[in-house]
Amino acid sequence: MSTATRPRITRSTRPTVPRIPLSESWRRRLPLLPALLIMIVLTQVPFVMSVYYSLTDWRVVPPEPRNWVGLQNYTRLFDNEFFKDAAVTTIQLTVFPVLGALVLGAGFALLLDRRFFGQGLVRTLLITPFLLMPVVVGLIWKNQMFHGLYGVLNWGIDTLGGTPVDFVSRYPTISIIVVLIWQWTPFMMLIMLAGLQSQPSDVLEAAKVDGATPFAIFRQLTLSHLRPYMELGILLGTIYLIQVYDQIAVMTGGGPGSTNLPYFVFQRSIGGGWEFGQASSFSIVVVIASIVIATVALRVLSGLLKGEEIA
Amino acid sequence: MRGTVRLSSATAVAVACVIAAGCGGGGSKSSSSGASGTPASGTGSINVAIVDNPQMKDIAALTPSLFTAKTGIKVNYTVLDEGTLRQVTTRDVAAGGRQFDVAMIGPFEAPQFGQQGTLVDLTPKATSDAAYKFDDIIPAVRNALSAGGKMYAAPFYGESSFLMYRKDVLKKAGITMPDHPTWAQVAAAARKVNSPSMAGICLRGKPGWGDLGASFTTVLNTFGGTWWSAKPDGSIDKAMVTQPAFKQALQFYVNLVKDAGEKDAANSSFNECLSQYKDGKVAMWYDATVAAGLLEASDSPVKGKNGYAAAPIDKTKNAGWLWSWALAIPKTTTKQDLAWKYISFATGPQYLKEAGSRIPGGWAALPPGTRQSTYEIPQYKSAAKSFAKETLDAISSAPITNPGTTKRPGLPGVQYVGVPEFQDVGNQCTQQFSAVMAGRAAIDAALKNCQGVASQATQG
Repeated sequence: MSTATRPRITRSTRPTVPRIPLSESWRRRLPLLPALLIMIVLTQVPFVMSVYYSLTDWRVVPPEPRNWVGLQNYTRLFDNEFFKDAAVTTIQLTVFPVLGALVLGAGFALLLDRRFFGQGLVRTLLITPFLLMPVVVGLIWKNQMFHGLYGVLNWGIDTLGGTPVDFVSRYPTISIIVVLIWQWTPFMMLIMLAGLQSQPSDVLEAAKVDGATPFAIFRQLTLSHLRPYMELGILLGTIYLIQVYDQIAVMTGGGPGSTNLPYFVFQRSIGGGWEFGQASSFSIVVVIASIVIATVALRVLSGLLKGEEIA
Repeated sequence: MRGTVRLSSATAVAVACVIAAGCGGGGSKSSSSGASGTPASGTGSINVAIVDNPQMKDIAALTPSLFTAKTGIKVNYTVLDEGTLRQVTTRDVAAGGRQFDVAMIGPFEAPQFGQQGTLVDLTPKATSDAAYKFDDIIPAVRNALSAGGKMYAAPFYGESSFLMYRKDVLKKAGITMPDHPTWAQVAAAARKVNSPSMAGICLRGKPGWGDLGASFTTVLNTFGGTWWSAKPDGSIDKAMVTQPAFKQALQFYVNLVKDAGEKDAANSSFNECLSQYKDGKVAMWYDATVAAGLLEASDSPVKGKNGYAAAPIDKTKNAGWLWSWALAIPKTTTKQDLAWKYISFATGPQYLKEAGSRIPGGWAALPPGTRQSTYEIPQYKSAAKSFAKETLDAISSAPITNPGTTKRPGLPGVQYVGVPEFQDVGNQCTQQFSAVMAGRAAIDAALKNCQGVASQATQG
């Protein structure tokens, strides 16, 4: 594969755009400026404020004057055991749900790609989990599935003669991962389904005529065709799941193994810690990490999309 | 390529914004006021933040007919759960927001905010208001809401903690529960009656300083432990979490829950225990006195089957906690007089007499534990006879000024330490303890982590 070199070729062969005079280009941009200004005020000003707060020791309880402390919040960050725990939990609560949902979603998409009676209904039903509110999902799973006394899972275990398990309190990380996979599988399924349905049928037919086995067709044609879609699913899934909050708040209310970084930021700020300076520094770290992930993932993705276009 | 570059920077910005929105900042997330849709009309209306317990919902429903109709003052209620209320009031009162004219707080906050100078001293208003009957307020509750002789919040509802147990179950097992049991007796009884279908005892295990933190701290106190030692001037000296008494108390609590406690203890607090007790899934329950009114309610499946004993003890004479939901006026309000008129109505003796026949739960569901005169109302005495005396005794004997065996830092408190740092330390540590209870953390590791958190508070 010479994917990496292709963008350079494309760039050099791009048709040249006639130059527009500077004044003309600003006149064209003028109508857009109010919108841009609002966007900056609404999004970047709070962000800059957070950066500023992260350089202070601002805490509300007990109320003390706000002092400039420079980078102290950041240098202390990695001595904080709770922060490290939360970082590890964030990785677990992002990586496993994304991969789990991707595998399951791809599986469902392959099944849905075939024609069968009631296809539309099944597809709608499979999408439902993604349409539910995260808080509702957390409550349903906590009380109706995982609960030690009233949960379906423990009813099953009990019927089979086993000892009931307090899933959420004993295995909080796994419990939340299961819930997230359940909710995000439809999202991945839709992306995969779009990928499958855009697969050119003539190529598949040609392969069949050439005597390729169904497994070989899947492995060599379908899978490589689906790759950019998988990248897209992983990218979007990661961006969303890195900030999961609702399910944690409802199911465990935090604690070792379920407090991820966004929840930790909440706990350290209005959730009882009241240390806005420290909490801001945590959130800035999450932002930086997310931007890095997003940028890297988008580079990979754009390269692949380009490769797809030429193929 | 150009398209993707633009897409990538746009996405990066979007990510930054979405995530940055999660950090607290100074943002003023306003909570909607629920009860009324009409706009405030000048001086004639006040904004009140209250907690969502049944007694407060009752008064919110009765306010238009009993208060607004007589005074013309409109009351806009914002009803919040305990945790959110605490977030909102701390921001509003301590950090100088201006959202509410009256806020509901407890004995943890009232003296602290009062000393910080963010609350109006209610004593002059209360003593000069003849109808309010200041001296009728139960002294233990009034003191808990005061600092330096000034009352900063007027109690709407007061509670202590005690042991509730199924008389029938214990009798069958041949156990007689004394009126003032020790924890050793309670633990032995719990282990004896424990069976696969019915747990011996329900104890709070849900993380939170007001959940597991409250129950556990009363045990810690009576076992001779403490969160912090105190300097002679009453400030925090050293974190005492890794001391033997603390470990002994936690070990006792965790072992009792593991051996004879309710199912999924690490996720249970007041409401979970209440439903398990009512379902006949636990034989005993150590929790707030207010639960008794719910167990003896006319629709309760365990009505009349319950005995009540004082909070279990070990090294101290009394161990019950003391809590009150009380109304306070932030100094930032411009409507102090209207606010006091409302507080005088809501926490005065007249409301208790008028509400009994009007609220759905009947006389037994009156806000308990604030006024001696409540316990002299004939209808209340008969409706609450199985628990009224025990509740009153528990409240008046709660060891608020001297809860343990050593001096405590900060302001008085039983199930909490009266320093601002406690809510944060309590929240973080109870998460560790709850994990021990669930069997996914070792007790020594949890204590070590907690000691670290508690030590940070000593650095000021």
